[in-house]
Amino acid sequence: MKILIVEDEPSLREIMVRTLVREQYVVEQAADYAAALDKIAAYDYDCILLDIMLPGGSGLRLLEELKQRRSRAGVIIISARDSLDDKIEGLELGADDYLPKPFHLAELSARIRSVLRRHQRDGHESLDAGNVHLWPDSRRVEVAGREVELLRKEYDILHYFMSRPNHTVDKTALAEGVWGDHIDQADNFDFVYAQMKNLRRKLHDAGADIEIRAVYGFGYKLVQP
Amino acid sequence: MKLVYRILLHLSWALSLLLAAWAVLFYVTMIDEINDEVDDSLEARAEVILTRVLAGRELPVAASEGNNAYFLNEVSDEYAAVQPRERYSDEEIFIPERDDEEPARVLRKVFHDRDGKWYELTVMTPTIEKDDLREAILYWIVCLYLFLLLLILLITVVVLYRTMRPLYALLRWLDGYTVGARNPPLAIDTSVTEFRRLNDAARRYAERAESTFERQKQFIGNASHEMQTPLAVCRNRLEMLVDDAQTLTEEQLGEIAKVQRTLDYLVRLNRSLLLLSKIDNGQFPEAEEVDINALVRRTAEDMEEIYAYRGMRFTLTDEGPLTMRMNPSLAGSVVANLVKNAFVHGDAGGEIAVTVAPRRLTVANSGAGGPLDAGHIFDRFYQGAKKEGSTGLGLAVVDAVCRLYGLKVAYSYINGRHCFTVEFPA
Repeated sequence: MKILIVEDEPSLREIMVRTLVREQYVVEQAADYAAALDKIAAYDYDCILLDIMLPGGSGLRLLEELKQRRSRAGVIIISARDSLDDKIEGLELGADDYLPKPFHLAELSARIRSVLRRHQRDGHESLDAGNVHLWPDSRRVEVAGREVELLRKEYDILHYFMSRPNHTVDKTALAEGVWGDHIDQADNFDFVYAQMKNLRRKLHDAGADIEIRAVYGFGYKLVQP
Repeated sequence: MKLVYRILLHLSWALSLLLAAWAVLFYVTMIDEINDEVDDSLEARAEVILTRVLAGRELPVAASEGNNAYFLNEVSDEYAAVQPRERYSDEEIFIPERDDEEPARVLRKVFHDRDGKWYELTVMTPTIEKDDLREAILYWIVCLYLFLLLLILLITVVVLYRTMRPLYALLRWLDGYTVGARNPPLAIDTSVTEFRRLNDAARRYAERAESTFERQKQFIGNASHEMQTPLAVCRNRLEMLVDDAQTLTEEQLGEIAKVQRTLDYLVRLNRSLLLLSKIDNGQFPEAEEVDINALVRRTAEDMEEIYAYRGMRFTLTDEGPLTMRMNPSLAGSVVANLVKNAFVHGDAGGEIAVTVAPRRLTVANSGAGGPLDAGHIFDRFYQGAKKEGSTGLGLAVVDAVCRLYGLKVAYSYINGRHCFTVEFPA
């Protein structure tokens, strides 16, 4: 899988490159509009991470360029502005997703997976980790070939980790991802522990070979066999 | 007070003073003139009688009914010595025929004949009733005053509204003016210098406000852009550190988690400020019919789970369907902020009561410490007691959203309960 990162901030670009390389992607980078245009013209990509505000031109114009070239690349707009107009215009111009800065790296990786999945296999495929398979469209979970019944929050937590395998997830980020932004003032995470306990028990009882492991003092990590 | 009333009030004051002064002057002059005439005729009559007395001729018959009556009395030398030779006075004299007193002008002349005997001649003539005159003058002055006032009122109103038309047009324009919104041009055609200057000034200040507003918007946009990227870098570097966590101790992970908390707080703060500025700029155009009942139910369910450790008793009362055409994510922030507020700031183990009525949403929670400052509770960064992790912007967001959609949000403290009420327009 080949990914192009178009981002003008060197530090953030470096972080994104390192993270994605570790996830076995082939990563190229462009720091400004002209460089990005050259890359798009010369190569095909599976996914492009696109900043809107670029030196030398707008990321939205690159989107138009991609559309004209009938590029099959999935595009995720990465913008610091979190502006609705940018979002609407970007999605109308054919972007697949919109990720406002600042984001979690695990989130970035999950979004890339999701876009790639949709582009490669029309979105009907499952997320797989070990002997656990999860179908996001039908909210179904299978462990070792047998369907497992999960409650809503348990399913959401499993989905969250399956899209971010091997990332250590901060428990606040997990709570925010599953419960929404309301958790920002909770100073007690018993509600996460309670759901997590049930989910782990159900996975264990069904004979799953993956484990959501606690990282003490920090959060959790999905570990595959 | 409207300008026209103010002008009328001043005019009526000035007019009443002016007319009162004029009435006094008029009265004094008139009385003076009348007395002058009467005195002349009294003098003439006294002269005739005096000549006859001194000539020893027959005196005229004193007319009855007080008219032209006269008396001639002999007086003592002493009396004559202290009296002036001639004096006029206004007196009430008794008319026997009418059995009544009448006002009269009286002339008393003291003289002596050839024998040195002193006489006092009293000549009188009935004169006008001064009380009546004063009354009449007062009456007509009041009439005149009212008439003038009415006339001036009419003229003032007509003139004022005609000449002040540009002013009222300007006021209407200013009333309808919203900085940052699409405003109609200030099209007022007037040849009056003052109004032209006023219009120019208004236009100039509007332009200045526009450019300041524009700059501020850009500043917030730029500031957010400048802050988001470094925040992303900080957060992501820490995440990379944790992802390669083989060498980190539990203690170090804990410290990193704490730094992440602080970063989360900064991110939230930045996000809330952006949200507020976007609401203020009206950047939430898309709206749909939002089912508030369902929204409250969903939100409350999550909150109950998240804040279960606070051990609060939560009751949701549904008194009827409440829907509102608005941006769904803004509706979500109003409900979430109010409900979360109750869970976070209410007493642990206390009560929370949420009521959804057809046009009203009420969120109440028990809380010690008495009422909060209702005048500032919706201000940005106002916090009764500083709570860690709280941005102090939640209620400001609620207020901004309510203002955007014309909802009325109010705070009250009743029977030891903090109560927030949002009234939805019918």
